[in-house]
Amino acid sequence: MVLRARDVAVSYGDEPVLEGLSVGVEAGDVLAVIGPSGVGKSTLLRLLALAETPDDGTVELDGTDAWALDNGDRLRLRRRIGMVFQEANLFDASVARNVEYGLRVRRLWSDRLRDWAASIVGPSTPTDAVTEALSVVGLADRGDQPAGSLSGGEAQRVSFARALAYDPDVLLLDEPTSDLDPRNTALIEEAVSAARDRGIGVVLATHDMHQAERVADRAAVLLGDGIAEIGPTDRVFEDPNDDRTRQFISGELVY
Amino acid sequence: MECERFRKLTVFLEPIASLVSGGLSPAIAPPARSLVPLVSFPFETVYVRSIVAVSLYVSLCAVLASTLVSLPVALLVGFNDFPGKGLLTAAINTGMGFPSVVVGLVVLFAVSSQGPLGELELMFTREAMILSQFVLATPPITAISLAAIDGVDGGVRDAARALGGTRLDVALVTLREARYGIATAVLAGFGRAISEVGSVLIVGGNIAGVDGVSKTRTLTTAIQLEARQGRYETAMVLGILLVVLVLLVNGIVVRIGDGGVR
Ligand SMILES: Nc1ncnc2c1ncn2[C@@H]1O[C@H](COP(=O)(O)OP(=O)(O)OP(=O)(O)O)[C@@H](O)[C@H]1O
Ligand SMILES: [Mg+2]
Repeated sequence: MVLRARDVAVSYGDEPVLEGLSVGVEAGDVLAVIGPSGVGKSTLLRLLALAETPDDGTVELDGTDAWALDNGDRLRLRRRIGMVFQEANLFDASVARNVEYGLRVRRLWSDRLRDWAASIVGPSTPTDAVTEALSVVGLADRGDQPAGSLSGGEAQRVSFARALAYDPDVLLLDEPTSDLDPRNTALIEEAVSAARDRGIGVVLATHDMHQAERVADRAAVLLGDGIAEIGPTDRVFEDPNDDRTRQFISGELVY
Repeated sequence: MECERFRKLTVFLEPIASLVSGGLSPAIAPPARSLVPLVSFPFETVYVRSIVAVSLYVSLCAVLASTLVSLPVALLVGFNDFPGKGLLTAAINTGMGFPSVVVGLVVLFAVSSQGPLGELELMFTREAMILSQFVLATPPITAISLAAIDGVDGGVRDAARALGGTRLDVALVTLREARYGIATAVLAGFGRAISEVGSVLIVGGNIAGVDGVSKTRTLTTAIQLEARQGRYETAMVLGILLVVLVLLVNGIVVRIGDGGVR
């Protein structure tokens, strides 16, 4: 598995956000994307998730240009990708139904209709994959709770579980621990490591340099005009080639 | 001994039986079978019942058809950006205030023998009334649904797509998130349909048979007729029934909306 953005460009109005940017992630590889706020980390992840169309360049999964495909084929690619957005974006439904969503849309309509009819008659028990994904984020007993009543950090973890449940080939995580305490942050980081060990590729946008050092094999530093530096995490943090990267990491570069 | 016991039983039951049968006999109860004891109304139950049936049939059919048209339209307009979107939205919003008599006139022309639908011979039929109420109910249902769909957080749509949903899945998620607004839309459409007089009077003709069974007479047209002819009690009962019906339908729709939370 290789997910790659090649020479992508995105602009909002006249304002270019990304220009000629190329980056990729392979199976079993964890890439941290760091950079100042507003530099385009979320935009890059949304591109990789095929949630946004690049103005220029291509997004390729295993060499296939996703935006050259028709809707149906692109959907097949998208279904191999798990995306956790910066906002939780939970559906107004129970926690279990949220986590189950990715599995449900992959099933046949006949089965879905049968389940829907059954859910009117009586409560349904969550599948093993749902329970498993929820227990990874420490919320195994919350399946029945309405998503709207979760705390910010709980919602963020459910959002993570939602992408984990259908076992994608690549996980794109946009600041997945921004609302979490140290213990739950550790839970998510363990889940990321476990995913890597299963051969899943991970792209992790984060503001937490220590987190990048803990979980990422490689780090990409995004500064105003593109990727300033990319390489093994230790090397990027300890001995950056780029002068502004060094300033950014040491906190001297202020935007 | 068995016989004796049976005789006792019938003696015991007799007064009750006579009360029951007497209660139903025309001699005691007025022909009106009034809803309120001791007050009699100068109408037959079949009359009122058939009017309620016609009202419900016409308005429910119209609202069902409107909803089936409105939701896809609202989804299409809500999901897409195209030139003239603002204009279209404004047109739909204007349609909410369209005078029902004008709609009645237009539909009357459409179903008249010279009109485009003349072949179907719908003049003064319930189907013509459904058509005119459909025209009246569609703008409010579309406009309010559209506002509700526009109000659904784009992030939820992003999530549905990113999690592998098809376009239909994204549409369904959006409808689900907007369900309270859509319920309001359907209620507003039903309220508009069942309470309007102008168009159903024009295209339906307010017809009741000699047997007192309504053909195209609805609660609203019956009320205006009864009131005009000085039968205020009847008009009043029909008015109360109309309000009760609207309340009932509101209650049912709200219950359905709540039930869908899971
Ligand atoms: N839909 C949009 N319309 C207009 N501008 C946008 C839109 N989305 C993002 N932007 C702009 O693009 C730039 C990059 O946004 P992005 O969300 O990718 O930043 P980020 O690096 O993720 O920041 P943060 O660390 O704060 O999450 C920002 O300046 C933002 O204002
Ligand atoms: Mg961001």
